[in-house]
Amino acid sequence: MAEPAVAINNVSKRFRVYHQRAGTLKQSLIDRRHSRFEEFWAVRDVNLEVAEGESIGIIGENGSGKSTLLKCVAGILVQDNGTITVRGRLASLLEVGAGFHPDFTGRENIYLNGAILGLPRRYITSILDTIVEFAELQQFIDNPVKTYSSGMFTRLGFAIAVNLDPDILLVDEVLAVGDEAFQRRCMERINALRAEGRTLIFVSHAMDSVRAVCDRCLWIEHGVVRDLGEVNAVTSAYVADVNRREEVEMGVSESSTIDDSPGRMGVRLTGVELSGPDGPTSVLNTGDPVSVSIAYEAPAPLLGARFTISFLRSDGAPILSVPTDDGETGLGALPRQGEVRLRLPGLPFLEGVYLITVDVTEITTGQHYKRLERVRRFRVHSAEHREVGMALLGHTWELPHVGAPAAGR
Amino acid sequence: MASTELLPERGLQKRPRAPHAGPIAGRLELLFELVRRDVKQRYRGSVLGVAWTLLNPLIFMLVYSLVFGKFLRVQYPGGSATVFILSGLLAWTFFSQALVMATNSIVANAALVRKVAFPWMLLTVSSVIAALVNYAISLLLLIPFMLLSHKGVGPPILAAPFLVLVTFALALGFGLMLAAGNVYLRDLTYLVNLGTLIWFYITPIIYPFTLVQSKFSGHGLEGELAHIVLYINPMTWVVLGFQDVLVFDRWPQHWHGLGYSFVFSMASIWLGLWVFRRLRRRFAEEV
Repeated sequence: MAEPAVAINNVSKRFRVYHQRAGTLKQSLIDRRHSRFEEFWAVRDVNLEVAEGESIGIIGENGSGKSTLLKCVAGILVQDNGTITVRGRLASLLEVGAGFHPDFTGRENIYLNGAILGLPRRYITSILDTIVEFAELQQFIDNPVKTYSSGMFTRLGFAIAVNLDPDILLVDEVLAVGDEAFQRRCMERINALRAEGRTLIFVSHAMDSVRAVCDRCLWIEHGVVRDLGEVNAVTSAYVADVNRREEVEMGVSESSTIDDSPGRMGVRLTGVELSGPDGPTSVLNTGDPVSVSIAYEAPAPLLGARFTISFLRSDGAPILSVPTDDGETGLGALPRQGEVRLRLPGLPFLEGVYLITVDVTEITTGQHYKRLERVRRFRVHSAEHREVGMALLGHTWELPHVGAPAAGR
Repeated sequence: MASTELLPERGLQKRPRAPHAGPIAGRLELLFELVRRDVKQRYRGSVLGVAWTLLNPLIFMLVYSLVFGKFLRVQYPGGSATVFILSGLLAWTFFSQALVMATNSIVANAALVRKVAFPWMLLTVSSVIAALVNYAISLLLLIPFMLLSHKGVGPPILAAPFLVLVTFALALGFGLMLAAGNVYLRDLTYLVNLGTLIWFYITPIIYPFTLVQSKFSGHGLEGELAHIVLYINPMTWVVLGFQDVLVFDRWPQHWHGLGYSFVFSMASIWLGLWVFRRLRRRFAEEV
């Protein structure tokens, strides 16, 4: 096997957390005996080999050590233990426009930033027009950078960075800034580099970006490697883990109490339960089979009662109300005690937080027996879906094919 | 298959690679850009611009020559108080300005150091070079005063580059130590300001070296101390050298002292490099 482009062996990095903002002489003289800081391991015993031309994603929560690891590879931080071997020209894109001087013009900053990133001056001169055009700053290039909007600033920084042309590119959350068009250009550029067989290490919170550009994925948790493997497997495991923890935070429906006091005619609702494919939950994925069940009690059999389950957006806007009706319960009687259940074969909602409201009404008069407003709250994840918005509607695309007779020609 | 035609195949697309400067050439180019930035930064946005570089030492020189030459009646050898003071003062201004700028060179570029890996030492080197550029400009000030006092320059002026080199090396050596130390201990910014002020007075710039020699000879412990301080100060011999060349138009007289200053300056560079390399490991996290 060929030698890896980047080899990370048992790398650990320790950080100091100062008790107080130290760094003045007085404190360091007075506090000689007490240690002014505690140390913690931001990265611990990480091993990773990145083959030439491979693209690796690094994921994990905030503060898990992803960026620290990347900075060690970049040479900005020096690890306390272990070795990092890099074969090839390396460029890191941890922040676009780092080191821009506000008083200097865009043009001056192109030269300065280019030199800092390692581009020869003559080469910068030859591509200056391309950079300016890419950044869409033709009219402003001789104005001081401090007069730029943040968008212009970012565009200029990226326009310089895309010309770096390294063997190994380190990218850290750069895509998180800038507008959609900018992000798309970043991704295009990254994919172009990949297509040329360059090596990529990509730190991101955006799972779909990671899936789009990476072959393998490293999952770091509290500074240690939690998982390393094929990108879809690792990102899915990560998403599942985040959901699980969120579930605990939001409180699973079983545990939370509801108002079960009797309403009109003594009708009581004793339980409202939301279930996903694995039982009661409050975190679901788009497309999951879902059921909502309502347990009720009444002093006498219920005649002509209608149950309605409403789904609302987190801001209270109604999305869908589903009443029981003739077809289901009809005007017939329901036993004194029981459970009604609504099943959705595939949850159509996309990413977001949603609420459930439950009503029981008399079918002819519309009078309320009981109403439980916003009785349940649940989160939907749609990491697997490309669609954006509130709900998923059935759809198909039809596209023209190469080689097929083109219509209208 | 239609779809495969659209996918770029890895490694097949050959685009001309962007050239990267080699390690040495790249560093020189970067250093050049950083110096350009540091110099521009100083002169941009100020109305008088370059004039300040001349005005500052000019005013100090006038004040010193008035107070010491006229009021206190200090006898300056060579006849001209202005040229005498100016020859040392300009070199000193270069030295102290380089120290102050170098001390802040890493801290002032914190945003860059945290995010980009490049030889950070160049930030410090460029700040000292920028001070050298200012010094070169400030030398213009000598011309009118030398003409006024009918001073000419002969071959001894050829010793001046060596004197500048020693000053530069001293500033760079101390600057590297201070720049790296300042990342961890911000008090250094203030200490350097205070330190250069004291150092200024223990260097024979506004008083003649011979005055101290004659005043303190045979004054016991106090005199001994004054002598020792003056003798171990490497800037003493550099300033005396400048006075020899510019005031007396002669080759520097204190070759032993100057040799000592040269060795001292080289040692300070060596120590500065050593300290800087040791401390830079945690720059990005501490800055």
